[in-house]
Amino acid sequence: MTAKKQIYLDYAAGAPLDPEVKAQMERISEGLVSGEFANPSALYAAGQRSRELIDAARTEVALLINAQPSEIIFTSGGTESNNTVIQAFARQVIWTTPIEHPSILEPLRKFARQKSRFVPVDAEGRVSPKNFYRDPNPKYCPSLVSVMLANNEIGTIEPVREVSMKCRSPKYKTLIHTDVTQAIGKIPVDVNELKVDLLSFSAHKIGGPAGIGVLYVRKNAHVRPLLSGGNQERGRRAGTENVMLIAGLAKAAKLARARLVDWGKVAEFRDELRSGILKEIPHVILNSPKEGCLPNILNVSFEAIEGEALQLMLDEVGIAVSTGSACASSKLEPSHVIMATRNNAEIAHGSVRFSLGLDTTAEDIQYVMEVLPGIVKKLRDMSTVKVGKYA
Amino acid sequence: MPKSLNDQQCEPSPKPFVYSEIVKEHFLNPRNFLMGDESKYQRDAEGTVGNPVCGDQMTMYLQIEDDKIRDVRWKTYGCASAIASTSALSELIKGKTLDEALKIGPKEITEFLGGLPEHKFHCSVLGHEALAEAINNYRSKLQK
Repeated sequence: MTAKKQIYLDYAAGAPLDPEVKAQMERISEGLVSGEFANPSALYAAGQRSRELIDAARTEVALLINAQPSEIIFTSGGTESNNTVIQAFARQVIWTTPIEHPSILEPLRKFARQKSRFVPVDAEGRVSPKNFYRDPNPKYCPSLVSVMLANNEIGTIEPVREVSMKCRSPKYKTLIHTDVTQAIGKIPVDVNELKVDLLSFSAHKIGGPAGIGVLYVRKNAHVRPLLSGGNQERGRRAGTENVMLIAGLAKAAKLARARLVDWGKVAEFRDELRSGILKEIPHVILNSPKEGCLPNILNVSFEAIEGEALQLMLDEVGIAVSTGSACASSKLEPSHVIMATRNNAEIAHGSVRFSLGLDTTAEDIQYVMEVLPGIVKKLRDMSTVKVGKYA
Repeated sequence: MPKSLNDQQCEPSPKPFVYSEIVKEHFLNPRNFLMGDESKYQRDAEGTVGNPVCGDQMTMYLQIEDDKIRDVRWKTYGCASAIASTSALSELIKGKTLDEALKIGPKEITEFLGGLPEHKFHCSVLGHEALAEAINNYRSKLQK
């Protein structure tokens, strides 16, 4: 087989494991083999060495979001963090958006369907803070407001701080949660700036390993644990700590903090891709906002094309992207995000997300623009659907 | 695979593809599809099923002579398995009588393709339905 270009443009699904993180985890795993590290709950030296590692990691992670170390809980990932938050408010009033990650929406449907409220988003996927308010009747006042900092499919950055300022009230004690899984490492995240009480993210979007994540719980806020049966994480998340993954997360957090400045370059490449597509390919709908978007995400819909077909043709020429098409999901449902922003299944089926990373180069974007117009044309030639309906 | 993983010591593995090699072949090199403007293709019958809102739509165009399918062209809006199913069906029915062609159902299409993922089986159903629709249209036109 001849060597083929491999261009990964699905960083939003997961960043490659960073070599420094890998090296750090290898060091820890060797220590776990040799007995240098043991169960961190143990009082003997090997246990205490693990405990020290975890404490240092907690400090490192706290620095990334400007929190106190004691406010950081290690979980198995963004999904667990989000589930923990939602189940803690079961049968209470929760306000959220229709474009949250399924790890918010699914538990919400399960535990708090009746009283929850979805605050609508505009065509760019943004909520308006004015749609959040303190209901004069405490019965309808939300116990929890959960708004993601940036959407994972289209990159839209939400006005979390403004929402928080609208909802905060000393009287009703509404807690504000934000899922920053997609935003972390790409834009500054500061729990005090955002005025949030709860925050979730996972390590694998920032070059860390999958299987480890963070739930931030502000001092004095209490969230009923999802897992009980051990006093780890000060009783807030039971289960023996995974020292190796925690150390990997801490290393990734440290790198993410140092590399925050590098994303400006990525935004330039993303903008080049956007203008290239709009210039070279007719009948394209922009799903990502031009302003107030993560630096690395571009989501567009190609009229008359179904995204899974486009995804697989791009894969054939070595380009990895993702799509909001129903055909690409095992549930055969189109992207709930594009459905919320456009209310149009055809646009959702034709949506493709390009998500760039720090390794993306100008040559990568040039190569995409060399092959993409031809593939789009081929699929449109084959299609029963005519272009010109939406763009 | 992300390029930054290339230098890891992973064993090279065959390129994974969610579909069978035959599906992939028909998807990447579809047979008999009608390129561009369909009004230029002389046909005796056509049939359309599906809806872009649901994610797939297919049209079959047939040239029929002495109750036999002399030539077939198609257009498909949909995923790789929808495109491959229509392509496969077009190969299977060429030269067949209308009754023979109608006997080629989803099962035959799927078998020809070396299987489809379970949740993609409906793509082969749609191809069969588009053909049946075209033949129905042809027959009701003859009766008039």
